[in-house]
Amino acid sequence: MTSRVCIVGVGQTHHRGPGDNLAYYEYAFQAARSALDDAGLRSGDIDTVLASGWDVLDGRTISDMHIVPAAGGYLKDSAKVADDGILAFAYGYMRIASGAFETALVVGHGHAESPTELVSHVAMDPFFYRPLGVGATATLALQCCDYGARYGVSEEQAAAVVVKNRSQGANNPYAHLRSPVTRDQVLASEVIAWPLRELDCRPQSVGAVAVILASEDRVKRIASRWATVEGIGWAAESYYIGASELSRLAGLSSAAQRAYGMAGITKPFDQLDVAEVHDLTSYHELMAYEALGWAEEGTSSRLVEEGATGMEGSLPVNPSGGALSTDLGGGTGLARVAEAALQVVGKADGHQVEARTALAHGASALTGSVAQSHGVVILRRGE
Amino acid sequence: MPRPVAIIGVGLTRCSSWRRDVLYPELVYEATSAALQDAGVTPKDVEAVVYGSMDPFDGVNAPEKWNVDACAAAGMLGKPYMKISTGGTTGGSTALAAYYHVASGLYDVVLAVASQRVGESLEAQLVLNTAVDPVYERGFGVGAITIGAIQACSHMHLYGTTEEDLALVSVRNHENAVNNPYAHLRLKFGVQDALASAMLSWPLRLSDCCPSSDGACALIFVSAERARALAERPAWVRGAGQITDNYFAGDRPWYEDWDSLSMLARRVYRMAKIDDPMRQLDVAELYNAFTIQEILEYEALGFCEKGKGAELVRQGVTAMDGQLPVCPSGGVLSNNPIGATGLIRVAEAALQVMGKADQRQVPDVKTALAHAWGATIGFHTLMILDREAP
Repeated sequence: MTSRVCIVGVGQTHHRGPGDNLAYYEYAFQAARSALDDAGLRSGDIDTVLASGWDVLDGRTISDMHIVPAAGGYLKDSAKVADDGILAFAYGYMRIASGAFETALVVGHGHAESPTELVSHVAMDPFFYRPLGVGATATLALQCCDYGARYGVSEEQAAAVVVKNRSQGANNPYAHLRSPVTRDQVLASEVIAWPLRELDCRPQSVGAVAVILASEDRVKRIASRWATVEGIGWAAESYYIGASELSRLAGLSSAAQRAYGMAGITKPFDQLDVAEVHDLTSYHELMAYEALGWAEEGTSSRLVEEGATGMEGSLPVNPSGGALSTDLGGGTGLARVAEAALQVVGKADGHQVEARTALAHGASALTGSVAQSHGVVILRRGE
Repeated sequence: MPRPVAIIGVGLTRCSSWRRDVLYPELVYEATSAALQDAGVTPKDVEAVVYGSMDPFDGVNAPEKWNVDACAAAGMLGKPYMKISTGGTTGGSTALAAYYHVASGLYDVVLAVASQRVGESLEAQLVLNTAVDPVYERGFGVGAITIGAIQACSHMHLYGTTEEDLALVSVRNHENAVNNPYAHLRLKFGVQDALASAMLSWPLRLSDCCPSSDGACALIFVSAERARALAERPAWVRGAGQITDNYFAGDRPWYEDWDSLSMLARRVYRMAKIDDPMRQLDVAELYNAFTIQEILEYEALGFCEKGKGAELVRQGVTAMDGQLPVCPSGGVLSNNPIGATGLIRVAEAALQVMGKADQRQVPDVKTALAHAWGATIGFHTLMILDREAP
């Protein structure tokens, strides 16, 4: 019954820090425009538009009323998934898989108009967690502390992830931070929330990303190169920090199991050629390797040290530079999907690796308690 | 074509201006546990959750994260969980998302839940004002009520609808709400009482406007196989859709008609094979946040010709004993937990089709329509439910 779904176009802005005068939906327009150009389609060819992100972060109630028309959704059937864009991608996938629509455009955006710590702080319940003064960074730091203490992962080992991703990001023409950093620079940067230093954390980037999906019936009439969605999964874990084992990304494990099951992946580390992982912090990239079943608990930093997840390794992770180079708020997970698609279709200018099968991971970075919900997408080069 | 999808369970909460008696997760649990019980399924059976709320109206941002555990206790952990927000249409969009979860073939049993605690808002109209563009429109004080008032002015000016017509819409809805234990306002009053209520935004009086409410609603959507196994009388989804109009309210030259709703209705009626809605629909749950909107909706949905909506009210065609009863629940005029309101419309339509609407049941309902509008009247959702599978 479920029809196969493909990615036929990807568009991004040249992501950057705060400083120009465009509204967030103008970036959405730019990304949608370039995705349409990439797919060789016109706005009228798109059946449905899915937006993503959080009203409170956007500083607008109902921010999709601006984003959707800007992304070509005027008079079309649209919706907003109020979470990371990888979940809007999942909704776009379902809309096409149902047979009700042939094409969908999914858009995610980031901007610098709102204080992310305050926005994530007010996402905490008013009774238990808000009085503690915590926001996204503080709760992520709790996980990092637990992970570091439990497995003896050092600051130097976490810094190696930053060095890897920032050096890879330097080759991505769309990345926000395009300067490599050294281990010493990471370790000399200011502590934000122990053990996280400034360079262990994501920047706040401005820009947007758009992905165009099409049904398998339609795809051959649209594109010469495309990616097929082989597996997709998403999941949320308990809100209560005390109810979870902090150093494990349980939501990511659940999401990955679903996606692997659909795609028939049993040995992910061997079967995947490239991955774009949502590196919420340097430590979270390490935790993600384990939740994704690539390494035994607490052993991920060995993969980084051996270069296995570097550009020349057997499973390059975040050739784009990841979220440590560009963080689009609610658009970051969708950017992971976009970058994974670019890799399998061979359009990742400057940061291309040899890849037929790719994994993309997105997490809900700015709402919920500790990296509470995750999405995983498995892509394969279309034939 | 999408595979068939049905609703087999409904859970509603008691609504009031501030549900101080429960924490947010408890309010959500009230709805989710009731829906599971109504459907006769356990938390284990549910494969995915869709959650709707309009964050800026709540005292907690992204409350779905806090409420993961409340979506029928720990049985929901580690499951697919998706959050939808689209303004007033949030509940309608949540129902649509749950529909596509099942229609896609990925899931067979999906819980749709929506909630709002508008009691935690300082002032809902202030929040709504932040929806409009800060440069061009915000300074005019545009909110939902002002746009409703513009619709009323235009309709009265061009079609001769009167303040008495609006009052009659209010009286009817509140009369219906007396039969609905889940409505926030359950008031009985007459046209003269309505006309004597305070003027809020000319020509809309207090009696012409919805309240702001705390409440939640949950529905169980299932595949055809599960519907036949689990329910004697499921409510089948026969048509569903959403439409997005432009975002600058000032870019829309007319307010007396609701063209985007007409356009969506044509699409959804085609799916549901409806060509004469007045004859083929047995009941409609419309999103009447302001009295005038119920009249515009009659016209846009093809219940009557343009400009003739007020006549349906005067003739009682849409009253409980009329040809096409509208809002037996009391509508949005009696209850408005914003993010949940659109899902409550679907829930009430489902209850009517399933024959479970108790005191507010319309006899022999076969086909029901549920509507919601959102944004600066630029979004609409529609869902058509039927006793027969598509």
